[in-house]
Amino acid sequence: MSTDWLSSALVFGLFEVVMYIGMGFLLHMQLGLAGIGNFGVVGFWGLGMYAYGIIYGGHAPSGTDLIIDIPWPFGDPWQAIASVILATLVAGLGGLLIGWIISGMDLDGQLVGTFGFAAIVFLLARSQKGLTGSEGGIGGLDFPYDIGSEKANAMLWLLVASAIVIAIGYYTWRVHRSPYGRLLIATGQNEPLARSLGKPSNLTKLWMFTVTSAGMGLLGAMFAVIVHFLTPLKLGVDVTLAVIVALILGGAARVWGPVIGVLLTVGLFEIVVQLYAPFPDSWYRQAMPVVKQIIYGMSLIVVLMYRPLGILGDMRRDKLMRSIHGD
Amino acid sequence: MVTEATDTVAATRSRIQIQGAAKSFSGRTVVDIDDLTLGEYPVEGLIGPNGAGKTTLMRMIMHSTKLDRGTVTLVRPDGDDRGDVVLSELPTYAMAGLGVVKTNQVIMDFEKLTMWDSMLLSVAKPKQELPFKIFAEAPLFAEHEEEMRHYLDFFSLTDPADQAGSAGEKKLLDIVRCLLLKPSFLLLDEPTAGLPDDLTEKVMEAIRLLAASGTSVVVVEHDLNVIWNLSDQVHFMAEGSVILQGTPEEIRRHETVVEKYLGEGHVGG
Ligand SMILES: Nc1ncnc2c1ncn2[C@@H]1O[C@H](COP(=O)(O)OP(=O)(O)OP(=O)(O)O)[C@@H](O)[C@H]1O
Ligand SMILES: [Mg+2]
Repeated sequence: MSTDWLSSALVFGLFEVVMYIGMGFLLHMQLGLAGIGNFGVVGFWGLGMYAYGIIYGGHAPSGTDLIIDIPWPFGDPWQAIASVILATLVAGLGGLLIGWIISGMDLDGQLVGTFGFAAIVFLLARSQKGLTGSEGGIGGLDFPYDIGSEKANAMLWLLVASAIVIAIGYYTWRVHRSPYGRLLIATGQNEPLARSLGKPSNLTKLWMFTVTSAGMGLLGAMFAVIVHFLTPLKLGVDVTLAVIVALILGGAARVWGPVIGVLLTVGLFEIVVQLYAPFPDSWYRQAMPVVKQIIYGMSLIVVLMYRPLGILGDMRRDKLMRSIHGD
Repeated sequence: MVTEATDTVAATRSRIQIQGAAKSFSGRTVVDIDDLTLGEYPVEGLIGPNGAGKTTLMRMIMHSTKLDRGTVTLVRPDGDDRGDVVLSELPTYAMAGLGVVKTNQVIMDFEKLTMWDSMLLSVAKPKQELPFKIFAEAPLFAEHEEEMRHYLDFFSLTDPADQAGSAGEKKLLDIVRCLLLKPSFLLLDEPTAGLPDDLTEKVMEAIRLLAASGTSVVVVEHDLNVIWNLSDQVHFMAEGSVILQGTPEEIRRHETVVEKYLGEGHVGG
């Protein structure tokens, strides 16, 4: 099968789309089900990404090692797999810590708290030269295998990421149809009432936040592998904005919301406009990122002002209950 | 003196003992109870004027309102060796597991959950709600379908796959959620307020059946007909304390006290 039509840029664009859909599913569980606001998506994702770079054994571009240099007893792909797992756990710990701090806060408090966390991750990445290489970044992160060309390697990684995101999506879909999902929704919608029915609402939210944050870290670690090179610039607020805007555009309370929303935002920008729109080259380098940020930023303002239900609309438990339990 | 009574009556039900319990809001004492035991009789009424502190006392029992001082203890029936539990040291969510359950005076519901959802939420045990139990819905429904349908029929609730629509439906659903928790001690805060007569009758019947099956029930109501009809014992609360206790007949004999607080025409009922 010829894959000539698949440029490396397209593979990368598709990877971003897949990754953002995965992040959308995770944020959907936090915000759409349990009602937890997260303005710090990039913090958990970035924590996973940097933790991967550091644990795997990336080094500064000059070749100098970072402070943490694990003497791996085995090579790739196991070294990379172990690093992805550890990075996921690190992001989960971040989620546990932040989840514990924001538990009991209202939505505004949660948004500010998580935003602050993302800012801290960014500052650490920029200032801790020995640990993160600061502005110089972390390099030396290649695919944990070589099946021929860079493009082929990237395609395989895209497949791996797609499988993981499909699994996350399937889990999300099942959660809607399980007592656990109902517990999350109940906790999100009326915490005192849920508590009076015997539900440990704080613990429920904390545990869910921890696991979904770990999931964001997992996707960040996957991203570290495909970009090969980490800099603090990658930890911009635009990652958070993209996930939130996509999720809410699609429908925050619906399983398919993130899919539709990401296709219409990230998909449109990173693939259609980036690869196929006939803009002059200088545009892409200078104007496009700015335009993108402005559009995301403005969408977010609209979202906060009008709290729209998104294209798919509101949660429809009545339809769901009818379909699984009859009338 | 209340404890003496406890010793003499054979205790076959769960009781709740409130000792030295006080609560004030912005410096104003709302509840101040020296020693009170609830649940010595199958159905007990708790009455008193608006603002007497009835709801606050119930919230203190559930520990959804923090006590300024004092303790609330769940006393098990004789022969139950699980031991007494100090409820005021436990989080609210632990109450349902101990069998202590309360309905709400103010209408409460989950905004987007259907009646099936509400009922299934009540009956689901913690181990069925674990994050990885993604196939637990069908067995949970099958396990509890019969009792859920029983209560739907009993209160004439239709379309359980929809949300509770009217205020009355929400009020009944709130009661059904609590009944499905199989309480050993049930507190009802104005359960018939706003309900039409036929449904008020249904709620009273449900209370009688529950009490007959061994649950201790405490009812707060402004509709004194309900209280005189249902209660084996009545506690009259005013200004944060219980000032009168006795059978409905005994309470009604204190006409002056009752009318002072509740207005004329209440005693005859
Ligand atoms: N959270 C609160 N903050 C401040 N004041 C409160 C609070 N809850 C109750 N109160 C006050 O405490 C007093 C007792 O209220 P409570 O609701 O317990 O009365 P009640 O006996 O249930 O009255 P009703 O019959 O009207 O339901 C009232 O004056 C009320 O305004
Ligand atoms: Mg009240």
